[in-house]
Parts: sequence; structure tokens; C-alpha cells
Amino acid sequence: MLYRILEFSDLLRRNGLRVSVPENMDAASALELVGVGDRGAFKSALRAALVKQASDAKTFDELFDLFFLGLGGKAREMDEELMRQLGMTPAEFQAMLDALEKFLENLDGEISALTRALLTGDMGEVERLLREAAEAARGENMGMRVLMFAQGIGDRIGIEGIRAEIENLKTLLGRGGAPPELIEKMAQYAEQRMRNLMQLVRDLARRETDQKDPARSERERPDYLSQKSFIYFTEDDIRKMNEVVVRLARRFKNRLSLRRKHARRGRLDVSATFRKNLQYGGVPFRIKLDRRKKEKPEVVVLCDISDSVLNASRFMLQFVYSVQDLYSKVRSFVFVSDIGEVTKLFEEHEIHQAVEKALRGDVIDVYSHSNFGRAFELFYRHHWTAITPKTTVLVIGDGRNNYNRANDWVLKEIRSKAKQLVWLNPESRMTWGYGDSEMPRYAQHCSVVEECRNILQLYRLIDRIAA
Amino acid sequence: MFQSVDDVVARLAGERYICSRDLATVVYLACAMRKPILVEGPAGVGKTELGKVIARALKLDLIRLQCYEGLDEAKALYEWEYAKQLLYTQVLKDKIGEVLEGAKGLREAVERIAQEDDVFFSDRFLLPRPLLRALLAPEAIVLLIDEIDKSDTEFEAFLLEILSDFQVSVPELGTLKAKHVPLVVLTSNNSREMSDALKRRCLHLYIDFPDVAREMEIIRLKVPDADQKLAAEVVELLHRLRKLDLKKRPSISESLDWVKALTLLNVKTLDDGLVTETLSTIMKYEADVRKAQDELKEYLAVRKAKSGQPAAASDKDLLN
Repeated sequence: MLYRILEFSDLLRRNGLRVSVPENMDAASALELVGVGDRGAFKSALRAALVKQASDAKTFDELFDLFFLGLGGKAREMDEELMRQLGMTPAEFQAMLDALEKFLENLDGEISALTRALLTGDMGEVERLLREAAEAARGENMGMRVLMFAQGIGDRIGIEGIRAEIENLKTLLGRGGAPPELIEKMAQYAEQRMRNLMQLVRDLARRETDQKDPARSERERPDYLSQKSFIYFTEDDIRKMNEVVVRLARRFKNRLSLRRKHARRGRLDVSATFRKNLQYGGVPFRIKLDRRKKEKPEVVVLCDISDSVLNASRFMLQFVYSVQDLYSKVRSFVFVSDIGEVTKLFEEHEIHQAVEKALRGDVIDVYSHSNFGRAFELFYRHHWTAITPKTTVLVIGDGRNNYNRANDWVLKEIRSKAKQLVWLNPESRMTWGYGDSEMPRYAQHCSVVEECRNILQLYRLIDRIAA
Repeated sequence: MFQSVDDVVARLAGERYICSRDLATVVYLACAMRKPILVEGPAGVGKTELGKVIARALKLDLIRLQCYEGLDEAKALYEWEYAKQLLYTQVLKDKIGEVLEGAKGLREAVERIAQEDDVFFSDRFLLPRPLLRALLAPEAIVLLIDEIDKSDTEFEAFLLEILSDFQVSVPELGTLKAKHVPLVVLTSNNSREMSDALKRRCLHLYIDFPDVAREMEIIRLKVPDADQKLAAEVVELLHRLRKLDLKKRPSISESLDWVKALTLLNVKTLDDGLVTETLSTIMKYEADVRKAQDELKEYLAVRKAKSGQPAAASDKDLLN
């Protein structure tokens, strides 16, 4: 059993889950406790020990079925299907199986093990035989396609022979002297079983090849998106990002407020204690503990939504939206050549609607050419009061200014007044300063300038901004 | 302790907590393996309740530690009682004078005081906070660490020693080891990702919204005088609402509140006006309310079509 578990956790790892050695040990001791008799408990135990992230549960479920249930679940479905097709109740069905079994016993020796198991509905045995065949078939040819693999298994079990045996049985049944109605049903049944077998073989082949293919669920992995560049995001991707974005925003908040946590209450403030206790002749009766004022972080976000960075800004706006959701003191602006405040828009609409509205040009003209200089100047003229010494200013944009005036003096002003000025650029650092990019000029005024092309980078960056 | 998975189900049910076998298995394993449980899931599905119920079912004391941003060792583990220490020093001035009597020079005086060092840093002046209380408890207890995701990463790292070895180091006293291994339940709303190290030390349990049958069972248990048909309607509607993209999805506590409210109003079946009036019990955001209303109209229309007659007037009208 232990070996099976190790094999299984290896399969989990290949599908992007993180499973450590102690977790495997946990799984093993958990199984000792619940045993393997109860499938539900078995599965819960394994999941509790091996899967530590809710988003991985789906992958786990799929792989569990694939690995442990084997064809059992499928076979049960087939039984039900058969009963329905033949119009029999479970009791009648069972009676027929019993009759068939008796009949087969009288035939003894003339029939292969697989056919016998198949007809008497012993799916466990069928699966065992199929797996043997699959093992042998795999030995012949590694890494083959599903169809070929199925063919290989079919050859191994001698599927043609089984077909012949079943045909033969049908005639033998006729001679058995059973009522014709029952014989008819049995023949139908045998026919169906044969089809089932083919189905199982194909199924097994597909499952086996699936398991061996490590790249199978590449696209479903959560970190697949985190390393993909914003530029290549599809709309669908971005919608999926919702959860990630919210988490990012929370992290951002945590980080920004870290400062006040470091200076926490609880330490003895010696000088304050002495001062307070002068009235008692310097005997420290009253203790004075440190208590720092809470600093609520303020954020002003300026997000470029021009065409060149459309995808990135779509994502960034989601991020901004979530940040705003978490703080009371966030003001969000979008710009292309004009600049407009979207704080209110974000407050009133739900996330996707709000982002679409912002991008569609409800606030500012989005079809003009980017002009960072002008947008900055307008910001300085109309929204300067948004900046206080406590403000963290976040600029998101590629700094491509279409050869307009850079107006980087605005950034200089911001830098000298605000707590910090952070610039996130969705373009690769290699291209900064080439063409109409004004990045080097802008960068000198910022406290942090980072390339931010995917979620992973954003993640790291958030740690840096406030740390 | 629990004897088997079924035993868990039965005893939790005895404490009026309906759980799936899945959940029961994890609880059973945690008890048997002496491992902490990390419970995750949306708000209001009974994560905290689980910790409390386990304590009640096992007839153990519960020690609860509520986490929040900025929670530190001083508040979670122990603190020295400075005030008491200082007070004792003052009161015992004479005694200290005695100790110092005849000491030649400052050096010797310090030496003598140093010998009495451990008087001041002894259990007497130690103010145990929840974690230390849990470790020092004379008998086994259930330790509920609530909303661990609200705490800082530093605190999470600090928890690791306690969770894996059930011991803690106090610099002045040395390592304190738990007399009885407590049963630890950590809950998280997943507002941030917990570290792998923490996850590795725990059994993981994800509680999701219950299915229709289980939610009905819960309502039957918690609001016994609720009308069954009404409860069924509420549950069905809530399951529809949960599928919407809401800021906060209504959870079990909301459905219980709603059923209670409707029962108080003596309502037997949901109708348009009534639902709109009481929607605020289950929806916490204005945007959500608007979305829910659309879904509601559709639901009521479908129901009307299904029953083939206009929705029955509620008893409230009869009362007036």
C-alpha cells in the first residue's frame, strides 16, 4: 500500500501539487487508522494529508479517481446502463447473472477467464486481467498513442477469441432449454457486455496514457498564469485572475501596514515611565508602555490605459480596484492624454463592469495618443491635493510618451511631497529608453521602479515596496 | 477521544453540528494522529464552530486565540508582569536590604542580587496568554486558533514550533513542553496564502457550502419550528444565489438568520415583496442586493410557471 501511496503522490507532483515527505508519512499513518475498506474515508484521509490548498482539490479528485478507482466506477455505471437497456430490476438482473453463472459452470473449461468474469459481472477480475494485458502491452512500446495502446491491450487479451466465445455461447444457450424470452435477454446481455469490454479497454488505454503525460494539466495549474506575461493574457485569463488579484491586493495592504506593526505596543517606555512616576518620588508605580500611533496607508494610483498596454492595464485596474476595496484612502486615476479619476466609478460598480467602463472611455478619451507629460501636468494642476506626506503614489505605465514633453518635474514634485513613488512598467526592462520611451528620465525621480510583466513579478514587488 | 469516523459524526451531531463524513474523517485522524487541523473555507460555513463543537463533544476545555494583524508573542504566548515585578521590588525593599547587608562594594552587591535572579523571573511573574495556557494546561484541551490568515507571517513562523513539537522556548525559563498534547484547530478565510511550512504540519480540511439536503438538515436542527416547505424554498433560492458572482456569498449563518426571520414573521411561502423586504438579512452589499433581485425575479417566475398558479399569498396578509 505504501508503494501505491508514493506512486500516487508522485503523480500529484507531476501535476503541479507540492507534496513533501512528511506529508507522505502522514498519509501512510492516516491510512493505517481509517483502513482501506471505506472508500470515502480513504479519500478524505489522503486529501487531508496530501492536499493543502483548496484550489488543488479538483486536481486531486480527478487524479484520485484515475489512480485508485480504476475502472470500478465505470463498470458500475455500465451495470446500471445495462439494466435500463434490458428493462430489468436489479433483482431480476441479479437472477439472470446467477443463471448465467450456473450455465457457465456446466460448460467448464471451454471458456476463457476473462469471458467468464465479464459475463458474470465480476468487474474486479476483468480489471485485473486488463491491467495485466496493459502492463504487457506497454512493455512492447513506450510512449505510444491511445489507439495503438488500446489495440495492444486488445491483442493481449485476445479480443477476437472472446468475441467468438460469446457468439458460441449464444448458440449454446439456445440448446440449454431455457425459456426463449430469457435466452433472448441473455443474448442481448452478452452482446452488451462485449461492447462494454471494448469500452473498458479504450478507457484503460486513455487513462494510462493520461497518467504518463506530465504536461496534461499544465494549463490548469495556478502558477501557469502567474508567469505568463500580461500582454498575452486573454480576456478569459483575466477573469480567472480575480481571486489572485484580490489576494495580491491584500498582500499589498499587509505590506504597507507592516511598518506600524513593527512598532507595536508592549515595550516598556523608560523615559515616559520615569516622567509619570515623578509624582511618586520616582518609584515606578505606574508603567508606561509604548504605543505608536496607527498609520493608515494612503495610496494614489495613476494607471495608463492606452492601447499599447491595454491587457496589462486591464489586469492592473483589477488590482487597483481590489486595493481600493480594501482601503478607505485610495484614489485611483486613469490616463492616456487626459487624466480622470475613477475612484467613484470603482466604488459604485462591481469589478468587471467598473474596469470595462474605465477602459471604454467613460471617464477620459481613450483613443488619443498617450501623453504622459500632459497627463502628469494635468494631475499636478487639478489633483495635487491628493498627495500628502503619507501617500504612496503608484504609477502604472510603459512610459511611452510619443515624443511629447516629458514633464518629469511633476514626478520630482510628487517624490518630494509623498512618502514614496513607485513605478510599475509592464514592458521589459531591456526596451526602456528606446524609441519614445521616457523611462530613464522618469525613473530617476522614483523610489522604486520595477518591470512588472507578470503576476510573479508583481508579487515580489509588493514585498519590496513597503518592506 | 473519538473511537471511529462514525463516532465523530454521531458525537458532533449530539452537539447539534451536522457534518459530512469527509469532515468527520479529518477530525478523527487529527485526534488519533495528534496533528493540528487547518480548516479553510468561505465565511460562515462553521469553521470556528467546528473547534468549539469538538471541545464540547470531547468534554474538553477550549482555549481560543483570535488572530489579528499585529498580534505578537506578548499577546499570544506570555508576558512578564512588569508592574507586579516592580511592586514586589518596592515592597521587599527591606528584605533586599537584608540580602545586601555587609556586601563590600558594588560588585558583591550585584553578585548577591544575581543569585536571587530567578525569584524575579519565575512563574509567579509570568502572565500566560492563550498559547502558553494551552501548553501548561493540566489536562488535554482544544486550542482554537481563529483566523490565522489575519496574523502576520512572523507570527505564523513563530507558531511552527508549537504546532510540531508542542513546546515553546521562554528565554528566561527554558523550554516549556506541553503536559498534554492539545488538539489544535486553526481556521483561515484564505485572505492570504499560508506558508508551506505551516500547511505541512497540519491536516487540511476544506469546508464548502453544504448541499441542499445537508443544509435542510442543519436548518431543521437549528430552527426546529421553521416550516419545512419554506425552508426548502429558502435553501433552493440560496443555492441559486451562491452561484452568482457576489461580493459576499450568503452562507449557512445567513440562511439560518433568514429562516428565523421569516418564521418570526409567520411566513409560509416566499413571495416577491417579502423577499425584497428581507433581502438585507442575507445580502451585505448594495451591489449584491441588486444582482440578487434579478436572480430572484427569475426564480419566482420559474416557480410560478412550475406550479401553474400565482404564488400563494403569505400568511402575513391574513394576519393584517
